[in-house]
Amino acid sequence: MIHVEQLTKRFADLRLDGGFTALDHVSFHVQPGEIFGLLGPNGAGKTTCLRILSTVLRPTSGTAMVAGYDVATHPEEVRSRIGFMSNNTGIYDRMTAYEMVAYFGRLYGIPENILQPRIDHLFDRLNMQEIRDVLGSKMSTGMKQKVSIARTIVHDPPVLIFDEPTSGLDVLVARTVVEEIRALRDQGKCIIYSTHIMREVEKLCHRIGIIYKGQILAIGSLAELQDQYAKTDMEALFFELIDRHDELLQGAKS
Amino acid sequence: MRWRNVGLIFRREVLDQLRDRRTLFMIAVLPILLYPALGIGMVQLTVLFSEQPRTVVVLGTASLPDDPPLLADHHFAEEWFRNPADASKLEVITDSHADTPRQQALLAVATPMKELLAQREVLTSQIFTAQQAGDVASLARLKEQATQLTDDLSTRFNDGEMQVLIVIPEGFANNLERMKAEVLQRGDQAAAFDYPRPALLQNSADEKSLIAANRVQHVLDNWERAILRKTLEEVGLPASLPEPVHADAIDLARQEELAANVWSKLFPALLVIMSLTGAFYPAIDLGAGEKERGTMETLLICPASRTEIVLGKFLTVQLFSAATAILNLSSLGFTGKYMVSLAESGAMSRMVDLALPPVTALMWVVVMLVPLSALFSALCLAFATFARSSKEGQYYLTPLLMVTLGLTVFCLSPAVEMQPFYSVMPVMGPALLLKGLLSPTASSMTVYILPVLCTSFGYSILALWWAIDQFGSEDVLFREAERFDVRLWLRHLLRDKEATPSFSEAMFCFVLIMLLQFAAMKVFQTPLQRATPDQRGVLMMQLLIIQQLVIVATPPLFMGVMLTSSVGETFRLKWPGLFAIPLAMVLAVVLHPLSLEFAARMSWFFPPLPESVTEVLSTIARDDFSWWMPLLAFAVAPAICEEIAFRGFLLSGFKRGGREGLAIVLSALTFGIIHMIPQQVLNASLLGLVLGLVAVRTRSLFPGIAFHFAYNGLELVRNKYGGHVPQGGLWDWFFLVDSDGLRYQPALLGLCFATAVLILVLFQNWQRGTKTATAYSAWPPEKPLQLSG
Repeated sequence: MIHVEQLTKRFADLRLDGGFTALDHVSFHVQPGEIFGLLGPNGAGKTTCLRILSTVLRPTSGTAMVAGYDVATHPEEVRSRIGFMSNNTGIYDRMTAYEMVAYFGRLYGIPENILQPRIDHLFDRLNMQEIRDVLGSKMSTGMKQKVSIARTIVHDPPVLIFDEPTSGLDVLVARTVVEEIRALRDQGKCIIYSTHIMREVEKLCHRIGIIYKGQILAIGSLAELQDQYAKTDMEALFFELIDRHDELLQGAKS
Repeated sequence: MRWRNVGLIFRREVLDQLRDRRTLFMIAVLPILLYPALGIGMVQLTVLFSEQPRTVVVLGTASLPDDPPLLADHHFAEEWFRNPADASKLEVITDSHADTPRQQALLAVATPMKELLAQREVLTSQIFTAQQAGDVASLARLKEQATQLTDDLSTRFNDGEMQVLIVIPEGFANNLERMKAEVLQRGDQAAAFDYPRPALLQNSADEKSLIAANRVQHVLDNWERAILRKTLEEVGLPASLPEPVHADAIDLARQEELAANVWSKLFPALLVIMSLTGAFYPAIDLGAGEKERGTMETLLICPASRTEIVLGKFLTVQLFSAATAILNLSSLGFTGKYMVSLAESGAMSRMVDLALPPVTALMWVVVMLVPLSALFSALCLAFATFARSSKEGQYYLTPLLMVTLGLTVFCLSPAVEMQPFYSVMPVMGPALLLKGLLSPTASSMTVYILPVLCTSFGYSILALWWAIDQFGSEDVLFREAERFDVRLWLRHLLRDKEATPSFSEAMFCFVLIMLLQFAAMKVFQTPLQRATPDQRGVLMMQLLIIQQLVIVATPPLFMGVMLTSSVGETFRLKWPGLFAIPLAMVLAVVLHPLSLEFAARMSWFFPPLPESVTEVLSTIARDDFSWWMPLLAFAVAPAICEEIAFRGFLLSGFKRGGREGLAIVLSALTFGIIHMIPQQVLNASLLGLVLGLVAVRTRSLFPGIAFHFAYNGLELVRNKYGGHVPQGGLWDWFFLVDSDGLRYQPALLGLCFATAVLILVLFQNWQRGTKTATAYSAWPPEKPLQLSG
């Protein structure tokens, strides 16, 4: 469902010669019914990569196919087939939960007679009926996150992209979010999940890509990675990869 | 484009704005409350306002005639004022009446001034005698003394805190009587009688003194007229003697015309300003506000395309812009009408009923509002999308408002009337058209309606296109708040050079050329004004060459060497092959008659040429220069310098934006704009399109230089020898000499057009497919260019 080949993204940056390379020839694939974890520290390039997949940014080079469409040439087809949720996808202050979800449902082109029952069903599932008519500005962070999830899945997309969906949430809401994502996987969705929290990756993801300074350092299932690097502890594995990469870069410089 | 999405976004944004108390307050509540509140404020101010009496010192009251009396009851007599109550606004201190210590102190300051004034009188007559005698030495001395004396007077006057000082000369009343006696006794003789007149001292730099002096002058004038009437009566002459031609002015203005005159000034200005402010706040909220609140990305990942999103937002902004303008206008209209009906006295009382404009005129207000609000909405939305935050967005309001205000104030001036050129200008066209349609003496405005509407909608669409473009740019949408470091930026400019200049470097170069040209105006003007008419022609050409070299060529050359890595590629220093040069020259030769004919046909459209330009043109036509001087100034220098700037640096920079067509249009527009005069701006812009195309297709600057040289050279030849073409026979098929000089006949024009199209097609398909981007191997030179020395 998601095929990323040699994806590169450069930004103009006055401080750096030739600009800042946020993504450096990144490749990976994600199948339906699978959660692919993108693990990396802040600034590693996770958000840039997911923004390209959601067609908000254009790649400098390389290709990314989502649900059979190229993000560079068919952005609208891609957008109508994905659900995207990140820290940066806020909700409107002056809209109620119901209006917000219905608005996006209509933008996705869902007919009214299907939209109403679907929203009702979603609100039931996510325990949102009591915030149905609350304005965005009056909601707590947890409520907002629930509205975001409802907004992300209202059109039942085959591909879902979550960019650090649990950051800044208390444990209870974070657990709801994680459970919801697991339920979506069970429905056969193709899911990318980016985070810097190891435990979430261990719990949720089938396969993991460790990303650092715009490059994928390792890719594989948890077991494969543990075998390959002879480390059982995910955290130790992660730090070793990063240290090794930094040494490599240092060596290249000197 | 799915209109359903546009509608969805529009409905959401409108609802969102209506739920925002700030917007509602700005758009609806403020205009409805503002004007009545201002009205109440004005009434209160008039009630509370009381003018401070101004102090007038009158010296020598003993010499005043008793009938008619100037003073009565220690004030100026009420009969000399139009409004008798005004008499109390002038406090009069005389040498016989000073009660309070303040008045006495004032009098003490004023009295010695009488003596100084007398001395000045003596000096003035001495200066006159010295001038007659031609005594230069004593003249200078006397003048210095006079200046000194005036200075003394001024110091005392200001110290005394009086606003006006009147000095009545000794024996003034007696002199009046004597004059009467002289007239009666003269018999057949001419009566010659002169006597010292009163003096009135004021300080016109001081507002209070100026106003008081004007009032006093008015009093004195009325008093003088009464004295004259009395004198004429006593000597037995008719009262009409001093005013043999006193025209009776009859005002034919009808009430509704007076009202229409008021509306024709107020409505266009308010419409422009309110549709701008009405667009601005919603636009900021919909653009920068959405970024700030973190919902921009949510919207960007929905299936609606960028164009649909911008259109939905644009329609919302326009709705609020139009609503603001209409609410403001109606509130102002009704408040104004009510206020005027309240006024009992003063200038406003003439218009007892300030009738609102007729329905047809109001309909035009609404029609004009559509393109105006569309233009401002699109512009504001583009700015607001560019801004990182609402605060940054607000900063952009000031320049936009300043430009709009400038244009509006220009249109408000009574001397500015609608003409073809103004009708196609943004903002000015609609404002002037409305002014014309609302004004009482309705001159024929209907011919302008279509051009104004077409161009206004054109500008709106351009602005909208820009807004969509802004919205499609990820640099704009994801601009991060960065610390701006000048040193870092300069280092980046000089270190990370690219082969050709960037878009912003090209834009900066153009602004630099414009600024230099502005600064040089004074420098060039001064010697030209000093030169004698004979020298002026040559001097002007020398200055033109200097201007081309210093102002037009130097900035791009300097920037090209400093900021790009390939001077050759930037300035297109590639040999285009032998064939291109003569082909470009032929193109210039065939385009020249066409563009002349076009300019002649378009002359009705533009305001007349300024005098200085006609002077230049006549200078060229004169015979007393050697041929090479005009050729250098008008053909060689512009051909090289302007091509380096506009088809070299600027076009290369604009092309980096990625769009070839847009780059050519921009380079042509900038090329046009530096020609300043509207006629030449249009002509140069059109030729700039051709030059841009030739430069881009041949990848060389040289055909452009050849074209430019041939074109300007031909223009020179036409100006100089245009009147001398052979006439009669076959020649008459091609040429015609009339009052404008040489003109061309349709046969020649047709031939030229066909050839021009042919050559343009040739250039359009020049070397297609053979992309020779690496043809600059010989350039840049091995050693970097040395700039100093």
